[in-house]
Amino acid sequence: MVERYPTAIPPRALDYTGAIMPQLMPDEAELTAGLRIVPGRTYGFFTDTSLCIGCKACEVACKEWNALPAANLGLTGESYDNTAALSATTWRHVAFVEQISAGGARVTAMQPYQSNWLMMSDVCKHCERAGCLEACPTGSLFRTEFGTVVVQQDICNGCGYCVPACPFGVITTSEVDGKAHKCTLCYDRMKGGLEPACAKACPTDSIQFGELGELQGRAERRLATLHERGVANASLYGAPGTPGTTGGIGPLHAFFLLLDRPERYGLPVAPTLPSRRVRPAILAGLATMAGIALAAAATFMGEKK
Amino acid sequence: MSEPTERSPYGRRKRRGGDDATNADSPRGSRLYRGETYYGRPAIKPSHWGWLIAGYYFVGGLAGGAQVVAAVADLIAPGRDRTIVRAGRYLSLAGLLASPPLLIADLQTPARFYNMLRIIRPTSPMSIGSWILTVFGLFTSLTALAQGIEDLTGSATARRVARWSGLPAAASGMLMATYTGALSTATSVPLWAAVPRALPTLFGLASTASSLAAIALVAEAAEANEETHWRIERLSLLVGLGELAAHAAILRAWHMRGVAGPLESPALSALHKFGMVGLGAIVPTAIHAAQQLTGRRTRAGTIGAATATLAGIFIERVVIVFAGNESARRPTDYLRFTQPRGGATIQCASKGNDESA
Ligand code: SF4
Repeated sequence: MVERYPTAIPPRALDYTGAIMPQLMPDEAELTAGLRIVPGRTYGFFTDTSLCIGCKACEVACKEWNALPAANLGLTGESYDNTAALSATTWRHVAFVEQISAGGARVTAMQPYQSNWLMMSDVCKHCERAGCLEACPTGSLFRTEFGTVVVQQDICNGCGYCVPACPFGVITTSEVDGKAHKCTLCYDRMKGGLEPACAKACPTDSIQFGELGELQGRAERRLATLHERGVANASLYGAPGTPGTTGGIGPLHAFFLLLDRPERYGLPVAPTLPSRRVRPAILAGLATMAGIALAAAATFMGEKK
Repeated sequence: MSEPTERSPYGRRKRRGGDDATNADSPRGSRLYRGETYYGRPAIKPSHWGWLIAGYYFVGGLAGGAQVVAAVADLIAPGRDRTIVRAGRYLSLAGLLASPPLLIADLQTPARFYNMLRIIRPTSPMSIGSWILTVFGLFTSLTALAQGIEDLTGSATARRVARWSGLPAAASGMLMATYTGALSTATSVPLWAAVPRALPTLFGLASTASSLAAIALVAEAAEANEETHWRIERLSLLVGLGELAAHAAILRAWHMRGVAGPLESPALSALHKFGMVGLGAIVPTAIHAAQQLTGRRTRAGTIGAATATLAGIFIERVVIVFAGNESARRPTDYLRFTQPRGGATIQCASKGNDESA
């Protein structure tokens, strides 16, 4: 687990005390996230919304690193959320849920942690079995050596089938270049030994990057701690056996600790993997056509009385 | 693996006011979900499909169905219903030729259309469909070519080639007529995902009905003999009855799963009732039934039924595509559709994903 307030300076940090770094720091994630990134292992995000302060540093860091343009420059009137949704050019989206107005009645009690003003940094879930990837007809979407799901921009032909396939409304095509785009879990940074930009920028460690199994254990412990402290409404979303992992999708590699029911954040409780419907649909279609062919055979044998 | 109810005690949460009250339209199918959304914003993204894809569903289905009808007519009574066989094969070629332009124009990077044939992905009806169209295209072209040579020269060899290549053309035609149903239903869109079997069934029937209507018009123009007309009408009646049943079943399923909302908008409602069901199934089936029962067929009846069928089934494709996009934009539809069903247990899925191709 990452020490939040290290008592001693990590020894490796002392190697880089100069004002200018001579080169990229090898395995920088060791310093920032406490692990060395190794191909072949499965990595992900644990987004603990009980720690989120809604600063949107993750949104900014993501846009900066991935050179993504600003999208919506207006105000939505939806709490502090002017980003509105994930899109082809927005790969982290901080949602703000205000629970303070209890139907016009005066609020007399506040829940601990995020006191009725919920913030949650949403992102691509990098599903264990990904609807987008299974829908992709070109092989542009693929599973990386880090267990993440990435679009290869040089192959995508903009058929757009991944868009309605995603059970979480994440992946989107861009009208600018006609290709599909979404979070890559900073594939390029991970290749260089760097922690993903949003997780590195998060000032409260609400976004935690790590090996999936380790993160899942950490999430369990955090949930137990919160329940102990009386936060009864805390629950996990996307960890094994929890909402979001249903219908063949499996554990989400980017999963969450939520403080309200998932629908409040726009997340489905029991989504299903679209490809599960392929076989029944094709077979039903073939059975129908076989029936029609038989009816046609019977008809074409007949003569008018 | 524990049940989610142990860890996520939504049930224990006190009911909060706010938009819960305003959104609590119909909590059908769920004891707990009361219509909560994130500011009413869509929970999934709609497809970008529109007129081009609706047009492809129409011409591709017509091409597939025509090939099936032609092959059966050729096999069952060789040489008897030449008009049906010939019209079926040429119509199939026409539908085939219209398909790739529509599909390529719909791509957002059309210059890379050939990447569709880079891999085969059995989990993706878009990938399966690209290959179906390729195979269907090869055999349909060969069949039409052989048919053309036979028509020009009367060659018996050409006739045999057409018959044999017509079989794989018909087999892939069966898929052409129905896989677009799989393409729609294998998404997260509630209106499509709610009917994984009924939608391809309806598509198969509609495709064949449109093929028969087009064949009937050609037969009328070619002044085919009355026997041939009678057989086309009879099969059209059977398919039309199937369509009526499929329409009823699909509408029932949409209402039961609480996803019929998009059809309540004035435009889509009218197109659905009068176009998709009325023109596409009720009107032609009534005409065919009347002509069969009275034993008297009129030119006006046949042309009227065929025209209504073609118009209605084109509207059907349009309604399915546009209502699906509307369905994706309605967050309560999706969030209600994805409530746990039957005992509210959420099981964990098995491990493993197919790696990249
Ligand atoms: S959340 Fe959507 S876009 Fe992300 S991996 Fe899963 S299916 Fe693909």
